[in-house]
Amino acid sequence: MSEEQPLLKLEGVTKNFGAIQALRGIDMHISRGEVVALLGDNGAGKSTLVKIISGGLQPSSGKMSFEGQERHFASPSEAKAAGIETVYQDLSLCTNADVVANFFMGREITRRVLGVPILQEREMEEVVAKAMADAGTRIPSLRTNVEHLSGGQRQAIELNRFVHWGGKLVLLDEPFAALGVEQTRRGLEMIRRVADRGIGVVVITHIMAQAFQVADRIVVIRQGTVAGDLKTSETNPDQVIDLITGATLSRAGKDRGGSN
Amino acid sequence: MKMSDGTRRTVEFLLDNLVWLMLIVVLAVFSVTIPGYFQFGIFANILEQSTFVGVMAIGLAIVIIAGHLDLSVESTAALSAMVTGLLFAKSGIGMGLTMSPEWLMLPASLLLAILVGAVIGVINGFFVVRLGMTAFIVTLATFIWARGLVVAISGGRSAQSLAPSIRVIGIERILGVPLLAWISVACFIIFAVLMAKTPFGRYVTLVGGNREATFRAGINSDRILWLSFILAGALAGVAGWLLAIRTSGATANLGTGMLFNAFAAVVIGGVSLKGGIGKLPGVYAGVLLLYSIHTAINLMGLPAHFTQVILGGLVLAAVLLDTLKLRLREKLL
Ligand SMILES: Nc1ncnc2c1ncn2[C@@H]1O[C@H](COP(=O)(O)OP(=O)(O)OP(=O)(O)O)[C@@H](O)[C@H]1O
Ligand SMILES: [Mg+2]
Repeated sequence: MSEEQPLLKLEGVTKNFGAIQALRGIDMHISRGEVVALLGDNGAGKSTLVKIISGGLQPSSGKMSFEGQERHFASPSEAKAAGIETVYQDLSLCTNADVVANFFMGREITRRVLGVPILQEREMEEVVAKAMADAGTRIPSLRTNVEHLSGGQRQAIELNRFVHWGGKLVLLDEPFAALGVEQTRRGLEMIRRVADRGIGVVVITHIMAQAFQVADRIVVIRQGTVAGDLKTSETNPDQVIDLITGATLSRAGKDRGGSN
Repeated sequence: MKMSDGTRRTVEFLLDNLVWLMLIVVLAVFSVTIPGYFQFGIFANILEQSTFVGVMAIGLAIVIIAGHLDLSVESTAALSAMVTGLLFAKSGIGMGLTMSPEWLMLPASLLLAILVGAVIGVINGFFVVRLGMTAFIVTLATFIWARGLVVAISGGRSAQSLAPSIRVIGIERILGVPLLAWISVACFIIFAVLMAKTPFGRYVTLVGGNREATFRAGINSDRILWLSFILAGALAGVAGWLLAIRTSGATANLGTGMLFNAFAAVVIGGVSLKGGIGKLPGVYAGVLLLYSIHTAINLMGLPAHFTQVILGGLVLAAVLLDTLKLRLREKLL
């Protein structure tokens, strides 16, 4: 994996919120078609890292390269334009609008009538219906406002949204937290399918089994540093748990920050 | 409670268009109970009277749907009216500016009025969007200083006798209905399409619902808010221009009280002050409802102050209805 140029490479990325040091120098990389599970305790800095990659937050220092070029995303729209899709931990849906409007948010299909762009509602609804059917998501009506939907249905919309739009790199921050058993299984399958399209996937989860089921590699974050970076096939849940809690003696991979 | 899809859709449709239903009921009741109410002339008059507050309410509604507030629209309209009167009226403080060909005055005065409004929108936008100040405070300040400016530039006096080539707008009729009424109908149609059918309108609603989500989706929410304030200002400018035409000039206190009416119409029309919720056709129904009641009170010969009492009650009822609607929806759907 390392002989090929990685899709995304982070070097020494830090982030301070005032006096709080959320990230203290993160080094990691993701290749095309690879699924990386990002693990770590609450407050370890996982969401912060994802937001930095997706342009929602600016790093305090450090370097980020995407497709071999040093990049700096000043806003989510820039990251999106570069091909980075994100599903955030706190959902990013407008609950006052319907499923179709949310699915297409910012990328509406329009047709110009007398020079004025007009939304093509029927066309968009067809696309959403197909995406939902493919994913096995059941929503009574695509025209109901999201506020009337269940937490799981909302999360499914976000997931289907990223599968549909694809891009080059997908960041998923605890995407299955609100999903039922069957939906989670489908979700994991979906991640695999997306990766098989050559898209890099970063998925944050607290559930060890999910990480081992779907990921090629596991990166453990502890107190804002990378505590471990292991191939899934070469590790086991006990070792990963040790890395997460910091109780380990058997450190593996790139360990930089554990020295307290 | 279980319902068939058809009933469900009907109930949903009725809830969504409750204000139109109310308008029809109110018109029917007035027509039956008040002698002389059921006449073409009366209805045409209601349409005409609704024009000024109506055009203003469009902009106000857009800003509110985008999640903000614009208290300055009334003073903005007054300023545009005064600028129009000052330049194009002949008597009083009017300077009696003329142009050749004469019809040029019509588009020129309209453009100027829009410009005045848009500039005020830019000023509001600057403080709210750029500096992040609360729209309530910013636009309240504008409400005060813009009216102050009207009094200052007019010296408290008035401009009369607007140029006839501009006044035609206030005199002409099409199919017996005053041109002014047609103008407000046209404005509502144009902006209803803009809000319901274009990305801009979609984004206004989305930004009003969850600005963070639109930011993450790559929508330039700042731009949407800027445009909303500028539109509100520009439309208030048009309302002021129409008002100047209707009164053939401008006085320093022209349009006072319009803000309250516009707000009432917007709320009655189903726009939520929380932002993200509301449709322009509903707002138009709200304005029409307001003036239907106005007209009824006039016809019955009640003192004008009663209008205020009824209007206040109506606003309360509208908000109450909105809450009720939500409950009903939860129960039924
Ligand atoms: N906007 C912010 N302002 C101040 N501190 C913040 C902010 N965002 C995150 N933090 C802090 O940074 C640290 C890392 O937070 P982050 O959300 O990245 O954790 P996480 O690993 O995603 O945790 P979880 O598993 O609970 O989602 C925490 O200590 C958090 O309190
Ligand atoms: Mg998190």
